[in-house]
Amino acid sequence: MLDRFDKVFVEEILGTVLKYGGDFAEVFVEDRFSTNISLKNGKVENAQTGRMFGIGIRGFLGDKAIYAYTNDLSKESVLTVAKRVGEALGEVKLSGTSFDLRKKELNNRHFILLKPEEVRKDIKVGYMKRAYEAAKNYSSLIAQVVVNYWDYNQNVLIANSEGVYVTDNRVRTRLMINAVAMKDGQMESGFYGPGAAMGFEFLDKIDVEQAGIRAARIAARMVDAEPAPAGKMTVVISNEFGGVIFHEAVGHALEASSVARGMSVFAGKLGQQVAAECVSAVDDATIPNAWGSANVDDEGTPTQRIVLIEKGILKGYMIDKLGSRRMGMPSTGSGRRQDYTFAPTSRMSNTFILPGDYHPEEIIASVDYGLYAKTMGGGSVNPATGEFNFAVNEGYLIEKGKITRPVKGATLIGKGYEIIQKIEMVGNDVARGQGMCGSYSGSIPADVGQPTIKVREIIVGGRNK
Amino acid sequence: MRPINFEEFKEKIFVLAKEKGVEVQISYSKSRNFQVRYQNGEMDQYTDAGKFRINVQVLKDGKIGMSYTETLDNPEKVFIDAYENISIVDTEDIEYFYDGKGTYPNIEPYNGAFETLSVKERLNYVEIAHRKVREDERIINDMAVYGDQMSESKIVNTLGLDVSFVSGGGFMYAMAVAKDVSPRSAFEFAIGKKPEEINPTHVGERAKDEAITLIGSKSVKSGKYRVILRNDVFSDILGMLVSMINADNAHKNLSPLKGKIGEKIASEKFTVKDLPIHNLSIVATPFDSQGVPTKEKVIIENGVFKTFLHNLKTAKKDNVEPTGNAYGTSIAPINLYVEPGEKNFEELLETLDNGIVIIEVEGMHSGANPISGNFSLGAKGLKVENGKIVHGVEQITISGNFLEIMHKIEEVGNDLRGFIGMNGMIVPSVLISELDIAGNA
Repeated sequence: MLDRFDKVFVEEILGTVLKYGGDFAEVFVEDRFSTNISLKNGKVENAQTGRMFGIGIRGFLGDKAIYAYTNDLSKESVLTVAKRVGEALGEVKLSGTSFDLRKKELNNRHFILLKPEEVRKDIKVGYMKRAYEAAKNYSSLIAQVVVNYWDYNQNVLIANSEGVYVTDNRVRTRLMINAVAMKDGQMESGFYGPGAAMGFEFLDKIDVEQAGIRAARIAARMVDAEPAPAGKMTVVISNEFGGVIFHEAVGHALEASSVARGMSVFAGKLGQQVAAECVSAVDDATIPNAWGSANVDDEGTPTQRIVLIEKGILKGYMIDKLGSRRMGMPSTGSGRRQDYTFAPTSRMSNTFILPGDYHPEEIIASVDYGLYAKTMGGGSVNPATGEFNFAVNEGYLIEKGKITRPVKGATLIGKGYEIIQKIEMVGNDVARGQGMCGSYSGSIPADVGQPTIKVREIIVGGRNK
Repeated sequence: MRPINFEEFKEKIFVLAKEKGVEVQISYSKSRNFQVRYQNGEMDQYTDAGKFRINVQVLKDGKIGMSYTETLDNPEKVFIDAYENISIVDTEDIEYFYDGKGTYPNIEPYNGAFETLSVKERLNYVEIAHRKVREDERIINDMAVYGDQMSESKIVNTLGLDVSFVSGGGFMYAMAVAKDVSPRSAFEFAIGKKPEEINPTHVGERAKDEAITLIGSKSVKSGKYRVILRNDVFSDILGMLVSMINADNAHKNLSPLKGKIGEKIASEKFTVKDLPIHNLSIVATPFDSQGVPTKEKVIIENGVFKTFLHNLKTAKKDNVEPTGNAYGTSIAPINLYVEPGEKNFEELLETLDNGIVIIEVEGMHSGANPISGNFSLGAKGLKVENGKIVHGVEQITISGNFLEIMHKIEEVGNDLRGFIGMNGMIVPSVLISELDIAGNA
């Protein structure tokens, strides 16, 4: 269905934006098929398939940007939108700029074996039910299990007045399990949501029963837990989804959207020591089939592995095209968006702390009293102040170098630029976990990751005795 | 292929439904959005756009299959996709459509007041707010956003339902960051159905003043404190109630309020209603997403839990009238309204005497669990001694259980304010007699 946007038509759209005022024009066409299935109590309650289809048109003049989108895709409507974008940029500039669109053949790194639409829905439901059964049977405390399945097949065409004309196909599949445990009228929940830039083969690659058990384990452990202690203490954060701390505390403040206008606490600090020397971190959208990967970003720029911090020194930012203009630095292929209804901006892809030297057991053994954050929940940050918060979904007390008892309801808060200075030990067990990251350009798939790390002190929000 | 319009699309689908012997419901929505964001006085983002979406639901033997599309190209495929999705639905729940025969409240549709503004007039909102924020030299960063939207929705089905409505309004917000040992940020917003209801000077001024007030913020000792949850913070926390009063969640063991109708679940000073319209909210609708008429209802009356919110399915199951709260496949209030008390904010401060006013919470989506009711959130506040604000409070968390703090509401303020959550909220500040705070000091 993208065929109606052939080079001639796309050139006309881009030319219209330039003619009426822009010095750069971009087109993003998206045709996406999605499936959502929801299973509660072992029964499918909702089954929905759908199709999004629309175009986003963007123009720049200097470092000003105007964005518009529509899904009325008649030629007349699309050109009217393009004209409005150009006019909004102000100056009427009738000289016109010439450019040639060059079709780029992508070197695809993300091979899909089983396209979602080629798999029968009852087979998808079969896997969901296996995860459900495993979670439900894990413990008699499990009162409810909700399993959600989501896949999509997104076809995009991205073109701009610098000559880019590229198509890409992004397929993603995710299973999300929410288990609820109940005991003496108290309820606690556990979540696990593995996903990948893969087709349905992903559900054979992971063990869906183990995925169900993992969610159930968190719920069952936490319903037996006492409230976490409150106050400042040493915290060991487990690998994989624990990386949400770097994502929130540091990652967002390294996005051009907050750096370019000087809003970030990390603006102007390239080359400076911003973290403890044991910390190195990257954003890598090139990892084959990873949840946050893509061949090109949503501005048509090839993705890359960006070194953000190396041995504590700030090395790079995540930069989109507009950020590139404002900062005078090249795009890093970090322009992303939820869908065509959002203008792209600089975003993370798969962001993680690189492995260090310690065994996770050594790290725990080094703590006299503290919190072990085994499973993290989500979090958020204010990039202007660096203040972050995030939830510990499964926590344990560490006493005299040993994990002693489960604790619930802990939230970690702090300031990103302070916390990364306080990382004292980095483990050798790096792993990544999947999440949805929400920001200016919508909600997008992103991997977070890290090995087990020890932070000297963080404020733990818990209950007071 | 000749392009078709919505009427033809609908007719095609109704014919297909008749051939298959099933009922079908089509929801059509068309929206227009404008939004502009300035950072430090420079335009950062500007979006002017529109789109439509069509949702098709096919009902057969009490089961629903769903499909949506953003192109009118292929009604047959949209219908067949929805029809085929029924085959995997195996819930014992029975779904229904509504025939549209009830009486709808008389609610004035949005008159499109913001549609006539020029681009310049729209940009003026953010420029005025920016200039106001920058009147104090201690402000080092600022951001301002203005937006307006208009949305037409229409629901038709083969049982005869045919309803439509236009909603919309405008909003703006500003963020100010003040220089200090570590930066201090504050946020202020406004919403309205008419352009004159949004006062950018006021928004900029309040953001600036609060950021300045926070200079010199300190953390506090961990402990239990008397607190005021300012209306904006209380609207965030009260968001946890939305999932708890959803009848479907109660049926599925996902609500801690299950089986508690008639029980006292909150302080007797606390009364909560759901309203189809309120003058402080920009959300208003005469029907829910199933086309059922909306109505005013009391959810908590003087602390006693009165009713869950229902869609057609959950109402039949509980043998009650639907409450007009279907929200897509979920259930939600339209305007969650807290009955105001007597005291204004100053009087609440005097009653608090010594404690903390919580003015911002972060992490509602991760640190608050509506299934257990437990929350633990990053927060900012103002320390109050002898009824007077003495300094800002930073780097604290507030923790507790939603249902426990509902019992600890000592006072409800009269400072009602409208907010946009999932839908609308109209909420005052509340004084809570005891809340756990973790800090650094």
